[in-house]
Amino acid sequence: MRRGRAASMVLAALLLAAHAYAVPFEDPAARTRVTPFENGLTVLTLEDHTTPVVSLQIWARVGSGDEARFTGLAHLFEHMMFRGSANLGKEQHSRLIEERGGEVNAYTTRDETVYFTNVTPEHLPLVVALEAERLANLDVSEASLADERQVVIEERRFRTENSPDGRMFEALMALSFQAHPYRVPTIGWKSDLEKMSVAECRAFFAEYYAANNLVVSVAGDFQTEELLALLRRHLGGLRSAEQIERNPTEEPEQSGERRAVVYFEVAGPIVAMAWHAPATGHADADALDVASEVLSSGRTSRLYRALVYDRPVALGAAGGFWELARAGVFFAYAQVRPGASADEAEALLQREIERLRSEPVTAAELAKAKRALEVGLIVGQDSSSALASRIAHEWIAFGRVRSLEERLASIRAVTADDVQRVARSWLEPTGRSVVQLLPPPPAADGAKP
Amino acid sequence: MTGKRVLALLLVSLGLACTSPWAKPVWERPPPLPVDAKVVQDDRVHREELPNGVRVLVLEDRRLPAFSLGVVIARGAGVEAPEEAGVAAYTAELMERGAGARTALELAGVVDALGASLQVGAGWDSIAAQVAGLSEDRDALFDVLADVVLRPRFDRDEAERVRSESLAALRQAADDPTTLLNWSFAKTLYAGHRYGLPEEGTQETVARLGADAARAFHRRVFVPGAAIVYASGDVEPEPLLARIRATYGAWQGPRPPDVGAPPPVPERRRVVVVDRPDLGQAQIGVGHDGVARSDPRRLPVQLLNSALGGGGFSSRLMARIRAEEGLTYGIYSQFVQRHRAGPFGVFTFTRVPKVGEVVTGILEELERVRREPPSEQELARVRSQRAGQFALALETSAEVAAALVELDVYGLPRDTLDTYRRRVRAVTVEETSAVARELIDPARSSIVVVGPAETLRAQLEPFGAVEVVAP
Repeated sequence: MRRGRAASMVLAALLLAAHAYAVPFEDPAARTRVTPFENGLTVLTLEDHTTPVVSLQIWARVGSGDEARFTGLAHLFEHMMFRGSANLGKEQHSRLIEERGGEVNAYTTRDETVYFTNVTPEHLPLVVALEAERLANLDVSEASLADERQVVIEERRFRTENSPDGRMFEALMALSFQAHPYRVPTIGWKSDLEKMSVAECRAFFAEYYAANNLVVSVAGDFQTEELLALLRRHLGGLRSAEQIERNPTEEPEQSGERRAVVYFEVAGPIVAMAWHAPATGHADADALDVASEVLSSGRTSRLYRALVYDRPVALGAAGGFWELARAGVFFAYAQVRPGASADEAEALLQREIERLRSEPVTAAELAKAKRALEVGLIVGQDSSSALASRIAHEWIAFGRVRSLEERLASIRAVTADDVQRVARSWLEPTGRSVVQLLPPPPAADGAKP
Repeated sequence: MTGKRVLALLLVSLGLACTSPWAKPVWERPPPLPVDAKVVQDDRVHREELPNGVRVLVLEDRRLPAFSLGVVIARGAGVEAPEEAGVAAYTAELMERGAGARTALELAGVVDALGASLQVGAGWDSIAAQVAGLSEDRDALFDVLADVVLRPRFDRDEAERVRSESLAALRQAADDPTTLLNWSFAKTLYAGHRYGLPEEGTQETVARLGADAARAFHRRVFVPGAAIVYASGDVEPEPLLARIRATYGAWQGPRPPDVGAPPPVPERRRVVVVDRPDLGQAQIGVGHDGVARSDPRRLPVQLLNSALGGGGFSSRLMARIRAEEGLTYGIYSQFVQRHRAGPFGVFTFTRVPKVGEVVTGILEELERVRREPPSEQELARVRSQRAGQFALALETSAEVAAALVELDVYGLPRDTLDTYRRRVRAVTVEETSAVARELIDPARSSIVVVGPAETLRAQLEPFGAVEVVAP
């Protein structure tokens, strides 16, 4: 299926590219070079000397979706990668980069853990040496785990427990997915964080931080041959793993609406709903993206008109398609005005979803949505970190770097019928999960709220 | 090629060549010297000043078929009287809602159809209106921006709608503990001054706003003498400059208003708790007055702040409170530099039982930075950090254009960016030590905490009389 679709898209790209834009331009990512190392490590390089900046990223193909016992392990482990190694003290990695003006950080998703460093080019040898040091000699000790566990629990309080959006999102995912590991918040449940052990972290490192589970992506101002030689010397000796375990559970089909209420000290409630949607690489992806834009893009979008402008029920409302490696989610939410009704906001959201299913979007809406997606693809391609992220994501998700022309042609090919068809097949009422985050009800006399 | 550049390249290639298992690890060797290149080549920047005082800046970058165009006014919320707080933000929002012959939805329709964006936003020191999209749409977007800046409609029904949305947004923003901390911190330091109120105003002040207030504010502030028109991206400079002259050259208006009265200097410490009994994690702010953007001590202040708490894991506060003690996920210090002196503060969060411990740690580090200011070695690291961060922050044309416009907003010399790294390297230990003693004072630092007052009171009483306020 993927192959047939790709061929037709290439054809479409050839037909459309010639007259698409008044100014011809080169997709910077077209120059990506892929170098597989013998130990299974994949290196992506994109040399560009426009500005003296280089971004080096390490993408580990492991996220919270791979956790089997302790939730939050992938993310807590990401923190441990900064806590020192045989030859470096805790946080010294970050300090060495920051003292040279670089940016260094990491993030974990349900599918990946990404370590990124942006520096001026003279510091690239240091960046490579530091990555090699922690990948080869990481030191996970009781003391460092004890400190970092507390840091992550504070992060959890900040992002989730004290945050209305964080609480709502956590509840929505746990409701929509009942079996699949995506139901678990990436930061983990607090009880698991409290009990996480050094042995658990070490086993995780041995399993998932093998060379053949990593992709190194570098974009910006460097000489490719010199960099490849440097990477080979430092990372060419990393061990690879024979087998990498994946969580086998899949989500069974949902056969009826699910609902949840979360109480939180807020003036304005939040209403959010989710449907199961396809995983990355599905043929319906572009049509679902167009549906997202019709719902959410700009002040003329359907949700803004319905919930913010025509009826002053919400301060903001949007919908979107979230593509993940093993399953997708389509969501819609409204930030309800203080004093307005969460039920009314939910009914209006639902009415707009039903409209997508019952009638085709207008020609003007379709054109506008496609244009917004196209502009989104073209702008923002001028930083090394954006390019390094794009090529790494493309490589991991698709096994190749899709060109901008291919992406644009694929978006242009979406019809109003496609949008209605994907809305009908994916946004069914029986597959819907709804969360209302509301202020707590007044406590009865003498009872604790 | 300059001598320094040759040396830097040589060091890079040595770095590449020497990394063998028996050599000293690269992190133990001295860092290579930064490359001191010009931030932007002269032939890519086109500047001029129109006879009416409008400054114009065009930065060419033809790599992608995209462009952005904007007008920045070098005045913002700082010029508001306290009783009209929020009028700048309100006016900015209303400018997006109808201009020239187009109503709010018609204007949005034109922008959305191009997949473009239109944003007008107000800060303390400036208001920016910007359009961005594909370069093939540049003419249509140029016309949209000119209408928005020169001919906003301020329709009454939209004015009422925006006022109602702003009031609701203020109520909702108060749900967020970080926002509550920022509001309360400003109020604690600067009661009675405009800086003591939220940038977007309060329920009381916003309730008074309307179409007439927005129109009057626009007339007062959107004047050619305060305006900078800028463009960056895929543009041909000459035709664009000609259009800018034709459109903005005829613009007339009074002189720009004064930047606003300087804020009072808070004389004593206050300890304030914003009571949120439901929170398990408290938000903390500790600080006092600071310096203005044009203060001649700006660079020593920047370097001192990087060493204290503005430099991530390399800074003293992060090393102690997060890396050593695991008490927070993040902590930073900041001198907020505006047209007038903004606050200096340290901001973090921690679990409720640890608040007293964290506040003690912060106050001790403030005292220590006066007693033991950054040594030559520490300062060398911070200089290198700032110089490198500077290069990274100017990677894209949009970033460079914004940095050049900022110089005009504050009336700073045009070569400020090109001389920045050299000036950073010239800052001495004596200068940073002096600003530490002059500008940081733990005894005068107010302490503001958002969290459950019942549990926090006992922890905070050692620092002074605790005032408990409602959110």
